[in-house]
Amino acid sequence: MTLLADIATDGNLALGQIVAAAVLGAIGVYLLLPQPRGRHVPLGIFFSLSALVTFGVFLFQTYADPTADVVGRVLFWGFAAGALGFGTVLVAQKNPARGAIAFAFVILSCCGLFLLMAAPFLMAATIIIYAGAIIVTFLFVLMLSDSNGPSDENDRSREPLLGSLGGFAFAGLVLFALYASSPAGDGSANELLQEPLTPGDRQDLTAAIQSLEAAEKADNLKDMEERARAARGHVGTVVGFAPGDSAHPGLAEQPAGRPTVANRLQPMATDPRVATIIERSEKLRSKNKDLGDTLENLRFEAKPDLEKGRKAVRAMRDEVVLFTGHGHLPARNVTAIGTALYSEYLIAVELAGTLLLVATIGAVAIAGRKGVQA
Amino acid sequence: MITLWHFLAVGAALFGLGLVGFLTRRNFITMFLCAEMMLQGAVINFLAFGMHHGHIGGQVFALAIITVAACEAGLALALFLTMYRRGKSLDTGDWQAIREAGVAATFDSEALPVPKPEAEDPHLSPAGARPPMTAEEAARV
Repeated sequence: MTLLADIATDGNLALGQIVAAAVLGAIGVYLLLPQPRGRHVPLGIFFSLSALVTFGVFLFQTYADPTADVVGRVLFWGFAAGALGFGTVLVAQKNPARGAIAFAFVILSCCGLFLLMAAPFLMAATIIIYAGAIIVTFLFVLMLSDSNGPSDENDRSREPLLGSLGGFAFAGLVLFALYASSPAGDGSANELLQEPLTPGDRQDLTAAIQSLEAAEKADNLKDMEERARAARGHVGTVVGFAPGDSAHPGLAEQPAGRPTVANRLQPMATDPRVATIIERSEKLRSKNKDLGDTLENLRFEAKPDLEKGRKAVRAMRDEVVLFTGHGHLPARNVTAIGTALYSEYLIAVELAGTLLLVATIGAVAIAGRKGVQA
Repeated sequence: MITLWHFLAVGAALFGLGLVGFLTRRNFITMFLCAEMMLQGAVINFLAFGMHHGHIGGQVFALAIITVAACEAGLALALFLTMYRRGKSLDTGDWQAIREAGVAATFDSEALPVPKPEAEDPHLSPAGARPPMTAEEAARV
């Protein structure tokens, strides 16, 4: 009850927007649903569109823009509006073949949203699978529905008023639960990616990666050492210097007032995700020192083996890249999904295969005609 | 910095829309497509949470949902075919004989609208004189 009271005082506007969107949507879909006495298409479209706009305003005012960049913003709003708009067309369309076309557009819009959520493999898989599904649906429409004149299944709705009220009341309640459980309006806490690294950290790490790549291309030891030292300085300002590392000449001390990643995240170390970041930063710190030692030892050899130095620089670069990308999904999406599927989720894969087999047998058994030999 | 809540809200709205279609429409195929739309809303939720936690498990679960959707599609379309063979229609209202005991049957009180007869194609009166038949044509007719 206190939760409800809190929300009633803080979020009157947002609550009103949710209720208005649900009611407007219910009215719009009720007017659009096919009925024998005819439907009011212009008014239905008007109410549905205003519901969509109210929903968008609620999202924007409560959770601000979805991304910082213009392209992401345009893509998100476009795909979300496309999915919901074509979904309404599918619900209201009398002709099932046109409904299937609208469904294809719903799927395409959803795939756009998948791409925004860093799931390119699922995007491709969904398009391929649902393209087949929609073509089969088309085939069924062509085979089974008689297109001459109005029919019971296409021109009547079951309880249009109660059905649309029920469905939109459900959606409104889910949105309300979402609103009540989210840190609404507070732009810091609701980021999809909880950033363990500050923008300054990222800048330093990117500079370090660039210097390391330059060091790998160097054709003499002096250049390599110089560039690697610059990189080591950048990495050190982010994760701190290992004991004994600052003895190397040319490396700055930890800048005053700038805590290392481990120091900054220490209060939240009980979270296992944060703990792995801290662990990783400490590993990076010791590797940073190892790289310095390796290069220094090379200098004292009679015939310096540049290849060995390159290898060490390369390993360091990979480590820094991994650390920079912490909290993001891996860039190699297909590789990551495949690895996860065949290691962590092996039983799920087997179960899915069994389910598909059983469903195939069931479908053949159900649809098989009696008395006809296959 | 894409936020989690936008995607959750869109998923919820898509699910609700599919629910409305599933509850109100009477065509088997349209109802099936609406159910698939509800599944898409659920998939969006899984992907958003997977990205929020930086974990690939959300995408793996979405793959499992796609598998279940494929099974559902196969079985549902097989059932539609069987039911169509018996009732020669895709209307769920034809199957209310299997409703729960004690529930009254529903009747469609309103008559279906009569479709307007289509206007016939215009007839053009033949113009010009018929050319004389060649010998070959006369032999064929």
